[in-house]
This record gives sequence, C-alpha cells and structure tokens, in this order.
Amino acid sequence: MKLRFLYFLVFAPICLFSQVRFVKDTIQSQGDSVVVTATRSERKLSNVTVPVTIINAKSIQQIGALRLTDILKEQPGLSMTSGFGAGVQLQGLNPDYTIILINGEPLVGRTAGVLDLNRIALGNIKKIEIVKGPSSSLYGSEAMAGVINIITDATTKTPLQSSLRYGTYNTIDAGLNNTLASKSIFYQGYYNYYSTDGYSIRPSSASRVTTPIKRVATNQQFKYNFTDNTNVLVGLRFTNEQIKNELSVTNGGLTINSNGEEKNTDYNIASSLNHRFSNALKTSFRSYITQYNATQNLLTISGAPYTDILDHVFNRLENQTDWVVNKKLTAIVGGGAVMEGVKSSRYDSEKIRKTNTNQYAFSQWEWTPNAKLILIGGIRFDQNQTYASAWSPKASMLYKINKQHRIRLSVGQGFKAPDFRQLYLNFTNAAAGSYSVFGTAQAQKVIGQLNSLGQIGTLYNNFYQLKSLQPEYATGTHLTWEFEPNAKSFFSFQLFRNDIRNLIEVQQVGAYITGAQIYSYLNIGRAFTTGIEFEAKHQLTKQFSISAAYQYLETGDKDQLAQIKNGTVYTRDANGLSRKLNVSEYVGLPNNSTHKAQLKFNYSNQNGLFGNIRALYRSKWAVNNTNGNEVFDDGDSFAKGYIALHLSIGKDYVNGIGFQFGCDNMLNYIDALNLPNLPGRTFFATLKIQKSKKI
Amino acid sequence: MRQILKPFLLLLTVSSILFSCTKDETTVALPVTAITVSNLPADTVLGINKITGMPFSAGKYTFFSLERNTIVPNTDSASTQWDLAFAGSKILTNGGTSGTGLGGAFIYTGLFDNVKTISNDSVFKTDNAPASFAVTFGSGKGWYVYDQLTSLITPLAGRVLVIRTASGKYAKVEIINYYKGGVTLPITASDSDKLSKQRYYTFRYAYQPNGSKTF
Repeated sequence: MKLRFLYFLVFAPICLFSQVRFVKDTIQSQGDSVVVTATRSERKLSNVTVPVTIINAKSIQQIGALRLTDILKEQPGLSMTSGFGAGVQLQGLNPDYTIILINGEPLVGRTAGVLDLNRIALGNIKKIEIVKGPSSSLYGSEAMAGVINIITDATTKTPLQSSLRYGTYNTIDAGLNNTLASKSIFYQGYYNYYSTDGYSIRPSSASRVTTPIKRVATNQQFKYNFTDNTNVLVGLRFTNEQIKNELSVTNGGLTINSNGEEKNTDYNIASSLNHRFSNALKTSFRSYITQYNATQNLLTISGAPYTDILDHVFNRLENQTDWVVNKKLTAIVGGGAVMEGVKSSRYDSEKIRKTNTNQYAFSQWEWTPNAKLILIGGIRFDQNQTYASAWSPKASMLYKINKQHRIRLSVGQGFKAPDFRQLYLNFTNAAAGSYSVFGTAQAQKVIGQLNSLGQIGTLYNNFYQLKSLQPEYATGTHLTWEFEPNAKSFFSFQLFRNDIRNLIEVQQVGAYITGAQIYSYLNIGRAFTTGIEFEAKHQLTKQFSISAAYQYLETGDKDQLAQIKNGTVYTRDANGLSRKLNVSEYVGLPNNSTHKAQLKFNYSNQNGLFGNIRALYRSKWAVNNTNGNEVFDDGDSFAKGYIALHLSIGKDYVNGIGFQFGCDNMLNYIDALNLPNLPGRTFFATLKIQKSKKI
Repeated sequence: MRQILKPFLLLLTVSSILFSCTKDETTVALPVTAITVSNLPADTVLGINKITGMPFSAGKYTFFSLERNTIVPNTDSASTQWDLAFAGSKILTNGGTSGTGLGGAFIYTGLFDNVKTISNDSVFKTDNAPASFAVTFGSGKGWYVYDQLTSLITPLAGRVLVIRTASGKYAKVEIINYYKGGVTLPITASDSDKLSKQRYYTFRYAYQPNGSKTF
C-alpha cells in the first residue's frame, strides 16, 4: 500500500504539470441552473420554492464518482445505509422513503425497501437533482422524504469519449460515451463495464464484505424533432450485475456456509411524445416500461440448493400538460395509470405474479403576484387496487427579500404505499430459526390454515388486528433562508421537520408449536425526524473554492417516547440492576447520527488542472438494541463516529487526453461490522481519451 | 457428574447487601434481605460437536435453593430441596412437570424494589413441559433477549421473576447477567469466549421465609 502511494506521489505531478492550454469554466457555484424536479417543469433554481440540490456532471467527474452511491454519500443531509445494498437515508428517513428517478421515471427493484444505488453508473449523466421534503403531490408513492432525479440529456453534445479506471481490489471501470447530433436527430449512447474483486477485512477469509461483482450497463437515448414544436424521445437503459456470493449464516452456534451467484438485471424503456401548441400550452405523453429481475442461486456446503427470485415489472402511461394562464399564473395538470407486478420465491408461488394497478391525477398551480413572491399549491390523488387511496397536498412559497436574501417555505404531505413484500411475503427462514413472515394480504388465511393443521402454538392479540394496510404518511415542513452576500459566497440555513404516521412495522403475531416466531405487518408506528442544515460555499480565488455543510438531526419513535415518559421502559445501572430509562438517554431511531459535517476544498484552473480534498464526518449512531428494552438508548451498541477523507487530482489536456488520480478513505478508517461499504484506503487512476474539443 | 459440580460449588460466591429494616418497625413480617448470587453455572458449554457444529454440554440442570441460598445436589432433583433449576437460558420451578414441590412463577414487568407485595389476583404459572414454563422460555418472551447477530444473551431490564418456592413460600428474583464474571461480553469477543463464558448466572433475590406475600 505504501509503495503504491509513493508511486502516486512521484508520477502524479509529472502528468499534472505539463503545460497545455485548455479552457474550462470555474466550478462550484450552482449559479442559476435550471431545475426540473421541483415543479415537474423547467424553473430557474432561484425561482424554486422548495429546497433543491443540483449536482452537475463536472463535480461528479472531479471527485471520481463512478456509481450513484459515490456522489450521494458526499451530499449534505444524506447518508448511506448498508443492509440489502447501498441505500440512501435522507434527513433521517430510511431508503424506502426516497424515490429514485431517471429522467423523471422511477427505478424499481427494492430489496427490503432498499434500492441499491450501486446499480446506477454515472458516466453519462448531465446532473442529479435532489429535492428534500415530501413530494408526493407530484411523484406519488415513495416521495415521502424527497426525490432524487438523475438526468441524462440526448442533446448534450459531447465528443466520442472513453475512460478506463483501475483501482485497489482490482477494481476496473471502463466507459464509452458517444453522441451524434444533426438538426433534428440527437443520439447519446453510453456503455459501462465495472468489476471488482471485493474485499475482506480478514485477510485470509473467503467471506467478502463487498462481494466480487461484475456489472455492465448501457444507456441509449434518441431524440427526434419533427418540428420545432413536436419531438419524440426514447431512452433505453439496461444493467446487468453478477455477484459472487460466499455467505455464512450462524444460528445458535451452527454455521451454514454457502456459495453461489446472484444475477440482477434491470431494464427501462422510456418514451415520450412532446408537443407545444403555443407558448402558453404544451403537453407530453409518456410511457415507461421497466423490469427488474434478481436471481440468487446458492449452494450450501451440505449440497442443498437455494434459489431466491425477485421479479418486478412496472409499466406506466402518463400525460402532463403545462399551461401558462397569464403572466402571473401557470398550471400543470396530469394523470396516469400504473400496472405493476412482482413474482418472488418468497411469496406463496414464484410462478404467479402479484399485481396492482394505480390511477392518479395531479395538478399544481404557481402564482407569482409580484417579482418578490412565488406561491405554489399542488395536490395529487392516487387510487389503488390493493390498498387505500391517498391524497397528497403540498404548498410552498419563495420570498425574495432582496438580492441577497431569500426565504423558502414548504409544507407537504407524502406517502408510501405498502409494497408487495408487506402484502404478499410468505417466507420461512430455514437458515435462522425457522421463523416466518407473512404479508397482510394473506396472513390471516395462511396462519388460519396452519392453525387448522395444528401447527400454531399461540396467536397474539395483534393477529386479530391484521387488516389491509394503509399507506404510510409523512407531513414535512422545510424553512430555508438563503443568503448570497456577493457573487462569491453563498449561505443556506434550513430547519426541517417530518412527522410520520401509520408506519408499517413488522410485529410478531404468533408462534408455531415449536416456538418459532410468526411475523406480519401492521400500521402502527409514529415517528419524527427534525433538524437543522447549514451550508456555506465560498470562491476564495479564481481557482480555489471551499464549501462546508453541517446537519444536526433528531429522530424518535413517538410511541416509545411516550412509554419512556410513562416510566415503563427500563435499563440497567452501573451495578447491573434495573432502573427506569430517562428521556435524556433515548437516542431515537437507529442508524441516525446526530451530527454530520463536511468540508471540501476545490481547485480548478484554466489549464485543465483540478484537485479536491473532501472530509466527511459522521457522529456515532445506534446499531443494535443490545439491552433488549426495545428502544435505542445510551446503553445500546453504537457504531463509532468517523471521518472519511478523500482526495482526487486530475488534468484534462486540450488534445482530449485526461488523467485522474485519487485516494479514497485516506485515513484508512475501517468498521467492517457497521460500514461494510467503506473499504480501507483505496487508490485509483483513470485515463480518459476523447476526441478533441477543438473541431 | 460430581466432578462437574465441585468446581461449580467453588465458583459460587454469595454476598449480602441491603438491610431495609429500621429499629422503629414493629411489624410482624420479617425484613427481607436481598441476596446476590454470582457466577452460578448452568449447564456450561463443554465444547463443539464437530459434526453438527453445535455446542454441547453435560445436559444437567443446576438446582438451587432460595431458602438456604445454596446449590442442591442433582441427586436431590426429585425432592422439594430446590426452588429453581438452571440449564442454559432455561429456568425451571419446582412444580408441575418439573418437580414434586409447590413451585410456580410469573414474570413481572417493573423494578425489583417495586415488588413489595404480590397481589392476590396474581396468577402463578407452573411448568408444563414441553409446551410452556412458568418462567417463559425464549428470546424476548421471558427474562432475556438473544441477538442472532452477536450471539449474545442479555437479561431484559425491568423484569422480576416472582417465584413460589417448592415449599409454597414466595421470593422475587432479578437476573442480572448471564456471563462469567457478571459482565456481558463485548460484541467483538471471540466465538469461543462467547460459548465458554456463557451460562453463568448472576442474580439477586429476596426470599420471604414467613410465607407472606410481602417483601
């Protein structure tokens, strides 16, 4: 490791300081970029009423981010989770509650509510937009904590571009990007190959914290302009992952080792027909077809095969019409239908697809009474086949006090529909104690049948309370004050609060005669997340810029808090004797850090030389309820707080060749148990070749 | 079996603390003293079966008399000499299917010191093997939780085992720890430590010899 770092130090400057002229605009300031996710229509960032973060292609490239995870983990207010792939936690809410879109269309294929963000390669994207706060009024289910929209653009003209990256653990990433453009036809094609050997914390162990993986991805986009007012857009996306698995499950001292392969494929076809009738009226018809298939084939050492399949289909038709009523009033009206289905070996039959249909309509009105004020009101209705319907209202405003100060306020309600797993899961874990989990659509029937066969030992009271699930709801309020004293500095200060109700939680509803537990899902939980976010950016010189961010977060389960206040939750004193838990000892929801902070330095000059160093801090977070009192408190297990320090330096030459070197996790912080996605110190080097920009 | 029991007796240390009487009191009920029992072995793990990978032990209960605060030899297992029997995380009372005594129990959620009298409507359960036990067996159901991830057993805070002894007297028990030395091992402890150091009970109890339900 040391030797490699030495090489890096010796050779990097040689590549970097050869003098070639190359013109690049300076980085960082979001300037007055255009945002589409906040209102489902193009708006200048300075005119958006809700909190939005834009990550542009350049900042993705300059930190050397390959997968969506790499870039999101460095955003203020977000943190990554590590069970069932890398998910994103937004303002303290779990990955289930953030919708991930590609060009406005949702990605599907979640395991236990988590969409693995490593599936998404970043090589061809134009920008990523993150909207914080409930956005179901525009996007429906899952947009409860916020929205992450990945935007690619067929009309972005980039010359033929290829890149090859090699890094620690034999990690290879190769990309090819091409665009073609004529007056009326635009094409963008992107191909990506990624593989890694994974890594193990114990040197001689076969079991890998990150498993060996191979991914191929391609993304093709076409745009055809029939006339200036009418165009058609088609986007195709395909990814395939092959993961080698060596798993060991330990239960009661018995360890079952198994090995095998996991194959995940994912494709989307998105097409849209867009027509502008006049400057005041345009409409867009969109169709979206997507399928995610995950197949896990495992072979235990004893020879017993184990197959696990998940296959999710999601098809959607939608229309959206934008109408400029007058100079002060614009409206969006839309609606659509979703046909969705899931097959899984964890349901009663892996051959029968469970289906659901959903129809929805939404409308949003934007009123600009004067140059200083923008008011937006919107509402969406989702009607559903398998669970209760949902109304999602939202109101927001922007008040420009003067050129330097802006206030944004938004209040909205978001929801998350019960997912297929919560409705149809029919799973008995033979590897760990033979417990069962049954989705609510069938729980009473299945458990009733087991009961008539004499297999049920006990049924709890909540078994009789099982009924069709309601969506989970959140009400979110975001108040943001932005201050731009001059063109070089930017400050933002935000207060947020989300109140969540109807949370769907797994609960034991009974037990087999053998004592093995039986679980199902109930709408029981109430929780909150609240906090403060602070961001500052400053352009020190033409080349140097600095940015800092901090988040303070408090979370809690409201029912648990009530129990603690009632004095019915216990812990132990220093002598091991029981005593009542104090509210001050309660730490809230697990996997949430109270403090998160980041500090980044950026350098970028006119000769194509760039470099950055980023420090990301996260304070301790509760991981395990070790004292068994069902609430997370000071007496439980915590993951230690840590700092991850990343560095990247690169140079782009005018002849189209570019180099980049990086070192991630320079301090070599490792916590295999709690941070499996953070390997020790790793290095990478990238070579880019593109057709010269000077044509 | 005797060879196993001997060191167990040596390991048993008893300390008494907390006298709750004052000289002014003239009540009939004798003041009850809380007694702490440390490192009571309960069918400790002897090794791992190489074929099944499961830990094995002698499969013998440790019998304990609350009245006399001592381990009772296994030869007296069919008598009313003992009140509680421990093997792994299982605790038996001397009654029902487990013994010839009048023993029974229920689990009270709350603090040890707050169990001052056993109300008359309290229902004592008796052992009915294998379906149910007076001291409910299983993670999260009785006095402990087992964490599959860390393979550690933690006694639940705020649980009091209210016991009817073999002779029909009453006692209250709080399990404090399940590991040798009275301290739960860290998550990072080796698997072999987690096996060899478990099944050593530390608990405190108060026994009311006069037969009343007041402590």
